Amino acid sequence: MSVSFFTPSGEVEAVRDVSFTLHEGEVLAIVGESGCGKSVLCKSIMKLLPGTARVKSGRITVNGTDITGYREREMQKLRGNLFSMIFQDPMTSLNPTITIGKQIAEAILVHHRGMTGEQVRRRVVELMELVGIPDPQERSRLYPYNFSGGMRQRCVMAIALASGPRILFADEPTTALDVTIQAQILDLLCDIQKKLGTAAILVSHDLGVVARAADRVAVMYAGKIVEIGRAEEIFYDPRHPYTWGLMRSLPSLAREGEELYTIPGMPPTLIHPPRGDAFAGRNEYALAVDYEEMPPMFRVSDTHYAATWLLDERAPKVTAPVGRRSGERKAAPAGPAGKGKGKGEGETQETHFHKDHLHIGRRSGEQDDHILEVRHLTHQFRLGKKGMIRAVDDVSFFVRRGEIFGLVGESGSGKSTVARCIMNVYRPTKGNIFYQGVDLCDRKQVRTHRKMLQTTRQIIFQDSTSSLNQRMKVADIIAEPMRIHHMTPRRGSCRAEAEFQMGYVGLNPSYLDKYPPELSGGMRQRVAIARALSMEPELLVADEPIASLDVSIQAQIINLFRHLQMEHGFTFLFIAHDLSVVRYLCDRVGVMYQGKLVEIAPAGELFANPLHPYTKSLLSAIPVPDPCREKARKLQIFDSREMGSGGDLREVSPDHFVLQGDGRESQGNYREAEQ
Amino acid sequence: MSTKGFELAGIRPVEEEKPVKRKWYEGKPLASILILLAITAGCAACQLFIPRDPSYMDLLNYNLAPCREFLFGTDSMGRDVFSMIWYGGRISLFIGFAATVISTAIAIVFGAVSGLGPQWLDTLLMRLTEILLSVPSLLFVILIQAVLGEASVLSISFVIGVTGWTSIAKVVRTEVRQIRGSEYVVAAKCMGGGFFHILWRHLTPNFISSIMFMVVMNVRSAIVAESTLSFMGIGLPLEVISWGSMLALSEKALLSGSWWLILIPGVFLVVTLICVTSLGNYFRRSANRSQSNL
Amino acid sequence: MKKSSVGYYGKKVLVFFFSIVILSLVVFYVARLAPGDPLVSYYGERAEKMKPQERAWAEKKLGLDAPIYVQYIRWAKNALRGDFGISFKYKRDVLEVIAARAGNTLILGGIGFVLIFGLSLLLGILCAWYEDRLLDRVICKVGTVTSCIPEFWLSLVLILIFAVYLHVLPSSGAYTIGKEEDLGDRIRHLILPMTIVVLNHLWYYAYMIRNKILEEVRADYVLLARAKGLNRRRILFGQCLRNVMPAYLSIMAISVPHVLGGTYIIETVFSYPGIGTLSYESARYQDYNLLMVLCILSGAAVILCNMIAQTINERIDPRIRAKEIMEESRVEYKGI
Repeated sequence: MSVSFFTPSGEVEAVRDVSFTLHEGEVLAIVGESGCGKSVLCKSIMKLLPGTARVKSGRITVNGTDITGYREREMQKLRGNLFSMIFQDPMTSLNPTITIGKQIAEAILVHHRGMTGEQVRRRVVELMELVGIPDPQERSRLYPYNFSGGMRQRCVMAIALASGPRILFADEPTTALDVTIQAQILDLLCDIQKKLGTAAILVSHDLGVVARAADRVAVMYAGKIVEIGRAEEIFYDPRHPYTWGLMRSLPSLAREGEELYTIPGMPPTLIHPPRGDAFAGRNEYALAVDYEEMPPMFRVSDTHYAATWLLDERAPKVTAPVGRRSGERKAAPAGPAGKGKGKGEGETQETHFHKDHLHIGRRSGEQDDHILEVRHLTHQFRLGKKGMIRAVDDVSFFVRRGEIFGLVGESGSGKSTVARCIMNVYRPTKGNIFYQGVDLCDRKQVRTHRKMLQTTRQIIFQDSTSSLNQRMKVADIIAEPMRIHHMTPRRGSCRAEAEFQMGYVGLNPSYLDKYPPELSGGMRQRVAIARALSMEPELLVADEPIASLDVSIQAQIINLFRHLQMEHGFTFLFIAHDLSVVRYLCDRVGVMYQGKLVEIAPAGELFANPLHPYTKSLLSAIPVPDPCREKARKLQIFDSREMGSGGDLREVSPDHFVLQGDGRESQGNYREAEQ
Repeated sequence: MSTKGFELAGIRPVEEEKPVKRKWYEGKPLASILILLAITAGCAACQLFIPRDPSYMDLLNYNLAPCREFLFGTDSMGRDVFSMIWYGGRISLFIGFAATVISTAIAIVFGAVSGLGPQWLDTLLMRLTEILLSVPSLLFVILIQAVLGEASVLSISFVIGVTGWTSIAKVVRTEVRQIRGSEYVVAAKCMGGGFFHILWRHLTPNFISSIMFMVVMNVRSAIVAESTLSFMGIGLPLEVISWGSMLALSEKALLSGSWWLILIPGVFLVVTLICVTSLGNYFRRSANRSQSNL
Repeated sequence: MKKSSVGYYGKKVLVFFFSIVILSLVVFYVARLAPGDPLVSYYGERAEKMKPQERAWAEKKLGLDAPIYVQYIRWAKNALRGDFGISFKYKRDVLEVIAARAGNTLILGGIGFVLIFGLSLLLGILCAWYEDRLLDRVICKVGTVTSCIPEFWLSLVLILIFAVYLHVLPSSGAYTIGKEEDLGDRIRHLILPMTIVVLNHLWYYAYMIRNKILEEVRADYVLLARAKGLNRRRILFGQCLRNVMPAYLSIMAISVPHVLGGTYIIETVFSYPGIGTLSYESARYQDYNLLMVLCILSGAAVILCNMIAQTINERIDPRIRAKEIMEESRVEYKGI
């Protein structure tokens, strides 16, 4: 099947000649980065695309019937009945002004007009119980905004399952959810799927999620499926260079101390797709023929196919750098592609950082040189008429000079608030923050040392779209701090300085005159980093800087951070919710839960030996891209009632602090968590 | 088997596709801009081509229908309508722009103060606006007119400007509130940006584009207001020629059946307004461009 | 948010009265500060030729001699008793004068209001349904053109065509003399003014609701509804329109004074005896008492309608409530 969008700028070939089969009762996962066409694929099967899109060619057969030619009316009969869909953001997927019960009932009544009111009500309760919503009778009368994120997604699932569909499409169902909730929803999905015998197509960019839930996996790139096979085959024996690249850029699969592999360049725009293999321009294993002809699907086994010329008999034998077959993880080949001269948009040569430096600076800094000390920080917000909410509750920690300190937690844990208090965006209600000896909560001191504070601390936000002024040129954005402080830049003019910083973060200086909307997400984030770096700060606070980026772009930014720490001794306060990144990048990690800091330890120690029950449950929920391990794993659920209130951080082993209340160490019980 | 083409080639630079060059005028309301420019140019340069002095009253030739000599006919006092149109257009357009400038200036100051200030100031100012709006604008206009005395071009502009700023102010205020909370302002503050720096570099460029649409629409309503006021007799005096004052005479034209006195100035007015409106709509459209899900 | 109704509405009533008082003060002072001679409206041209004693006597009779604040207190005391004074021009009790004409304006404005909002809803839905197709484009173009035409000009043109050339419809007045009770005659007189009233405002609101619906249709829940298997019509009416209605109702509430008060131009052109012309005259010719009452009426109408609109927004629109709660939960959700 091929699907194209007809836009004013031309025809965008979103899906190009994709073929696959879905067997009864199985879960097929479609993996790829943003823009590869996986969402479009699902929507086009259900014919939910906007008007500018058209299925150019191909056939869709469901249960033996050819539905390619079906018009809207016939499709309406099938939607909900034969297949249904779950979307990414549960907050906006549900109509905020209609009760949940009514929305589920609507889904039932569409296909079963004859049911009586009583029957419908019973079915609604049945469905809500199926998806695990407690107290369905009362809750069906509530509105979506009364539910939390995970609960809303369950409601969406209830709606999707209302008429007993045979195929379920799940378009990034867990991306907007917290890690622990994500694991619960995935488990639920698998349970229901097995119970009802529904087949499912799961679309995701997260390989860990895929490993947990999928039977078969298809990898998509630039509108085509480049590899398809059973989950074990794809993860343990991948054959396509893109899959290799994806696996290698995952921090969870990276070896300690090693730099993350990054796929150079950018995916192509699909207005005029390249002639040969779309991945060739970024593929260090590309063959000459890759640039000429598109590779067909080669058979690796009955269930495993990959579209790469490397599998042709005429191609040279290459050992895969990942997967069990290759044994030890290998470094990038030293061939002509070794230096990574990708000429993708905006990328200069990927700087390969010397491995010797890697071990210096790790856990560096004198033991007692604390650049930042937070003591009993508490911050409260006033919430309309409801009263106060404690976003940060008695948090204390310190950060040594030259180290990367990671602060993790789920939504509502207060980590962002801590970051903003440190940057003086908020004035904390109680507590002290000492930065290089200056108490940030004392206004007088802040005023005296204002200039020092403003230049040596910088912040990088999560959303690069809103953290850069859309109407300022990149050059102006980077030079802004210098202009504010009326400093003469080190390299002569502001523009020269901006050029230098751009080169430093790996961006082509030709982008100096562009505006942020013209750049991609990864590039914008680099601009934000360049802006922070232009003042040569000592402390960089990064508030979820990579959360909204693709996996391969994340790897590039992570490498950049490491380089900055190693080469220049910047100190980072790195806030994230992705634990695998934190483990890879950070020296010490603090775990926050609902405003309290529950555990602090060096990264390796925390992951090897978590002590607080919340940390344990968090770690058990991180999806790891390894199907066998994932499927064997049991989720440990943390009961928040275990926490109690009060308690302080006690040092359990050297440099490892755990929050303990009432003097005894909580063992933690693994009960169902209340939502 | 030939292995040509199957050597390891690695990463080769791929040609960057040239982005499709869109014609620079695509999407813009070309026709409206051209017509608007033509009318404005005609009015501005009217001295060059009008056949006779517009205020000259040729009493021999009054109330003539359009003919070869008088392209648009003459009015009841014998003035040549053709010349009057171009000459009067100057004044109408000028009033439109001047009034808009005044109202935009007031609105920006008001909206910015309301948006940047603390919550209580904001509520107070909004309530004040509400009370002001509850006075019917017509009375307001009459009042101000009476205070200012004899109507002149500038006083009319002032009056219209002072009664038309509220809608722009509301938009400015909302935009300023929103921008204030956005992350790049927070980042600028962290970097040490002062109040004026943020105002000049961040706030202004961002809300200017959102109010462009309202400003253009304001021009339109200012021109309409001028003609309405003249029609009602509280606008420009009859000696000052503008499209509005020409239309003020048109009521009498009903009795004498001189359709050209009614239609022609009106058509010019309406055409100008349509062009201004499509310009405004273009500004409004460039904001949002998402796809329908229905 | 459960507020005690008594406290909620009680507060609003107080604010209402307070605003009216301020309004009356402002109008009172400003009207008297404006130059112009109120005696002219009472005595006509003779006022200019009066001798000083006659003037003083006339001013005393009309109550214009005392300082302004005394005049105001006098007026306020009378007003609370229901006596709003007499109109200088008509030499009758102000309320009488207004009552005689109020009906006409209410008919014109009221029916116009209903027509405007009914038609604009229909047009808006039509345009949104056929978005970007020929029908929508045509309606938008026609609408834009009609909204640009000044109402007085359109009135003149229509009078020219229908009354002067075709002799089909009357060109002025609310009824022909002698035929006051004839409904058909009244309707004939209403056709032209009503058309102008409707045409003047129609596109503005139609466009507004068209845009609101279009915005609604781009929401994510519409996609979910389609995935459920609902047909487009059901989604548009059952879900999108429901969400748009509260906003539309509050816009309606706010536009009441705008539509009703905007009839003065039409009344002038058509010589239609309504309150519009009355307010114009009273402002122009310093008919103080009449002006006061009219201002207070219109001000009260505006404030009342604003309050109704606010109430609709706060109480009835579930989205505002939803948004508030989501905002609160977002504070927890993102941890800011």
